[in-house]
Amino acid sequence: MSHKVIYLDYAATTPVDPRVAEKMAGCLTCEGMFANPASAHAPGRAARGAVEQARSQVAALVGAEPGEIIFTSGATESDNLAIKGAMHFYKGKGRHLVTSRIEHKAVLDTCKQLERDGFEVTWLKPDADGLIQPSMVEQALRPDTVLVSIMHVNNEIGTLNDIAAIGRITRERGVLFHVDAAQSAGKLPIDLKTLLVDLMSFSGHKVYGPKGIGALYVRREPRVQLDPLIHGGGHEHGLRSGTLATHQIVGMGAAFDLARQELAQEAPQLRALRERLWQALHVAIPRALLNGHPSQRVCGILNVAFPGIEGESLLFACEALAVSSGSACTSADRQPSFVLRALGRDDQLAGSSIRFSIGRFSTAAEVDAAASIVSEEYHRLLDLAPTG
Amino acid sequence: MPSSATEYSATAWTHFRRPCNAGEFPAGTAGVLSGEAGARQHGRAVAFQLQVTAGGRVADCRYRVYGCPATIALCSLTSEALKGRPLAAATAFSVVALAEQLGLPAAKRSAALTVEDAIRSAAGRYNSSG
Repeated sequence: MSHKVIYLDYAATTPVDPRVAEKMAGCLTCEGMFANPASAHAPGRAARGAVEQARSQVAALVGAEPGEIIFTSGATESDNLAIKGAMHFYKGKGRHLVTSRIEHKAVLDTCKQLERDGFEVTWLKPDADGLIQPSMVEQALRPDTVLVSIMHVNNEIGTLNDIAAIGRITRERGVLFHVDAAQSAGKLPIDLKTLLVDLMSFSGHKVYGPKGIGALYVRREPRVQLDPLIHGGGHEHGLRSGTLATHQIVGMGAAFDLARQELAQEAPQLRALRERLWQALHVAIPRALLNGHPSQRVCGILNVAFPGIEGESLLFACEALAVSSGSACTSADRQPSFVLRALGRDDQLAGSSIRFSIGRFSTAAEVDAAASIVSEEYHRLLDLAPTG
Repeated sequence: MPSSATEYSATAWTHFRRPCNAGEFPAGTAGVLSGEAGARQHGRAVAFQLQVTAGGRVADCRYRVYGCPATIALCSLTSEALKGRPLAAATAFSVVALAEQLGLPAAKRSAALTVEDAIRSAAGRYNSSG
């Protein structure tokens, strides 16, 4: 990064890879593929070709067929479409769904809305490591369960759920399985040919693509059907109407293509940087606690609780870092992270937790500097605090 | 950091980053009154010390603070503001008014109340012993 601030918030969003930006720029102006992909004329067909290439690129990263990829405005819309779409389409079968308390807000709030609409939701609590065990899902299933929605990687703590095992359970019981993969796509291998997942949500901007674009995988065999959220021109097999945003789609396709090519090399690098950061923090601050399972986690996310100091002060004191806090203390109503609270962390530890997320452009020097800054500010605040 | 730029004035930010008079007086220092307020489990704890002259004026202050940037900044600014004031004036000093002058967010007013409570707790010990 060229800024003075060290950016370690890649789980929030990533910069667009310059190679992606270049592809996107080719879809905007007169000389490029600006035409409506739904148009029958030659420029329209060219744009449609670019869209279909991008669809293939997205599908290739996750072992799907291109026809199983629906473009949306982002993972939030994908989650909404998957969950509301399935629950409404299959409401004749039942009105019960299962999810966890540590899903992304896009899933939590969607399920809460369905509760208001008369559906029933079972909210699974994670274990102390932040994992949803397949047995928890199995025990929650009922004869009228239509859908299970469990995230692949938790966005706050980086823990990795065993979606292969959960998928085997849901398939055996004839229940649909939706997975929010916004934090895992491009970070670890996903093969939808072997995973028994029916619906999977993706985001463009978590994978060095642009914001405002995402995708939903909708399994064709066995076929999954959804009620659309947006009605209009019948685009995307009638599931998501609206003129296709060629530049966004091409950007997401290029980003997923790069991720597919570079994943094997990039993931170990991110894991090494994450371990380097954790070791440096742990040596400097032996009381620091790792949030979430120590090994069953995605490569780039590290979430650490810093006992004895107040979280907002630590976050603000580390102004040279762009990281995320475990709490939203700036609001009038202090709300420590619901994820960390669900893990059993008390308000103080949840509030003094920081999520560091490392990405493609992170360096060892940045990680070392981040550990030094956090250590220095932590000890300064600790010295300032009353004893006891 | 945008939050610091949008929520905290330059003065408040400076006192958060480089607080004045932090720490505590050496044990046995004459004329020191100590008071506490808040609790860590509620997100904010302040231990405030006033060093009072024989004539009843605040000569110096020390504090220890656990809390958000606003709490730290208010401890620092208040410790400067109280120096030289008669103890009665120090007791009546409005940290809430100081917070308003600094333009701190309304959500941070409770930080000012905690600092006030710690000061009054310290000053109260003078009254009770005197």
